[in-house]
Amino acid sequence: MLCENCKERPATVVFKQETPTGITERHLCDKCAFYSQTFSFSPGQEPLSIQQFLAHWLGGSELFSEQKADEKLPDGPKCPNCGLTFHRFLDVGKFGCATCYDAFRQQLPRVFAKLHNGHTQHGGKIPVSLNERFALKRKLEDIRTKMREAVEEERFEEAAALRDEANLVKQQLDDGGDDQHVI
Amino acid sequence: MSFEKFINQELTGWMVAEGEHADIVLSTRIRLARNLQDHLFPVCASQEDAAAVDEAVHQAVSKMRDQHFTGTAMVDLTPLQRQILVEKHLVSPQLIDPEKHGSVLLSEDETISIMVNEEDHIRIQCIYPGFQIDEAYELADRVDSEMEKNIDYAFDETFGYLTSCPSNTGTGMRASVMMHLPALTITKQIERIIPAISRLGMVVRGSYGEGSEALGNIYQISNQITLGKSEEEILKDLKSISARLIAHERKSRELLLAKSEVHLENRLFRSLGTLTHARILPSAEAAKCLSDVRLGIDLNIIENIDMSVLNELMIFMQPGYLQQYAGTELTSDERDILRAQLFRDRLKIERSAEPDGDQELS
Ligand SMILES: [Zn+2]
Ligand SMILES: [Zn+2]
Repeated sequence: MLCENCKERPATVVFKQETPTGITERHLCDKCAFYSQTFSFSPGQEPLSIQQFLAHWLGGSELFSEQKADEKLPDGPKCPNCGLTFHRFLDVGKFGCATCYDAFRQQLPRVFAKLHNGHTQHGGKIPVSLNERFALKRKLEDIRTKMREAVEEERFEEAAALRDEANLVKQQLDDGGDDQHVI
Repeated sequence: MSFEKFINQELTGWMVAEGEHADIVLSTRIRLARNLQDHLFPVCASQEDAAAVDEAVHQAVSKMRDQHFTGTAMVDLTPLQRQILVEKHLVSPQLIDPEKHGSVLLSEDETISIMVNEEDHIRIQCIYPGFQIDEAYELADRVDSEMEKNIDYAFDETFGYLTSCPSNTGTGMRASVMMHLPALTITKQIERIIPAISRLGMVVRGSYGEGSEALGNIYQISNQITLGKSEEEILKDLKSISARLIAHERKSRELLLAKSEVHLENRLFRSLGTLTHARILPSAEAAKCLSDVRLGIDLNIIENIDMSVLNELMIFMQPGYLQQYAGTELTSDERDILRAQLFRDRLKIERSAEPDGDQELS
């Protein structure tokens, strides 16, 4: 069966959509299934919800493609804070808490890449309180790189000085963390 | 300060027809989604969680210096009052579910609204009239930075601001521009434009009525991507796409006028006739006619009607407002009759409205 949208590629995904007149099915190829989330605004056709998108596109056609629909799917990692499993996350399309992001860290770049045109990393505003920590962390990385170079080139005196400097920055970082908790 | 004033006050800042490109752009909106670090997201939060978040946000907001906010919980409003806040675009439809312990904080001029316990703990929204993307973002950014002094946001070095929905992760920002694009719709160019724009990480939405045309030919252009680009980059993209759409719409209007002036005039004046003389006016028809009259004013075909009145009518024609105006609940049929009367009164073409028998208005 050919994709109903492009009529070029084979249909690999079935979207069930709730419309006022009942549930309609659309057979789409992977590519159109992905894009249909953004251009399904043709008349009389509801845009896909994020849940449908995640559940069908990621859950249905890709991650568990070797599974039959009625078999129990693997749950994947589970958030220790709110108890959400990755599989359930794909179903509902929503995180339960901030810790979910940690729990699913390995899986998320794939999810984000699909949703954000290939982007997987934040490139925008940073809370002011974190800005300072960011700067310190970057400085620490810099010092450590130089230290490694110094060691490799057997400039041990310089390496020792750099190690002291690194410890100082690390101390600052730890203090900053403590301060935040006090406030 | 009572919250009532926000419901009773009919006009809200973004409805006045001003700002750049006010003939085409109705309003500009920035929304920032934020969450507190140590609480479950609203989707799975308990009542206690929700109450704690609410308290923390209200505390943080009360410490803000240059803005005064008035807040209320959704449960303390009647269903009709909640609906009016939605119709004024001051809160989202999701917030008003009384099960969810949502609340809202509004600035004096209603430009800023801070929703608590919507899909995310905090949603900061700024609406400006016309095309004012930078101004709206500056304000939202300032409110966000002020809030952050008193609240620990859920933030991750890799993923940015952590939101309930993965489609908001990163900047948590949705920037949108509401546009009236009748000429692009009449000439069917919009159908080609929508898919093209979606490939640039932007989304165009129209609210569709029964026909194939967007309700009132009003479209919302917004960013779809929130991860990987900075706020400034996202806004720049939105600005350039909006500017192109505006230019395109203007050109199409000129072309329409040049090609078939009498047909266009016929359509626009018929719509004016409907708005000023109809006795029963369903909302889809009202929206279509409003769009035509608006276009007529922009093209100097229809004179002596103020654009702000049309913006008002766009809001007042909605069910919540009509029922508040009537002071009672109305069936859909009764609403269509009252809507017709409201348009006749507001557009003041007919000198005096004849008494309408069974329609008793307070
Ligand atoms: Zn296809
Ligand atoms: Zn979780």
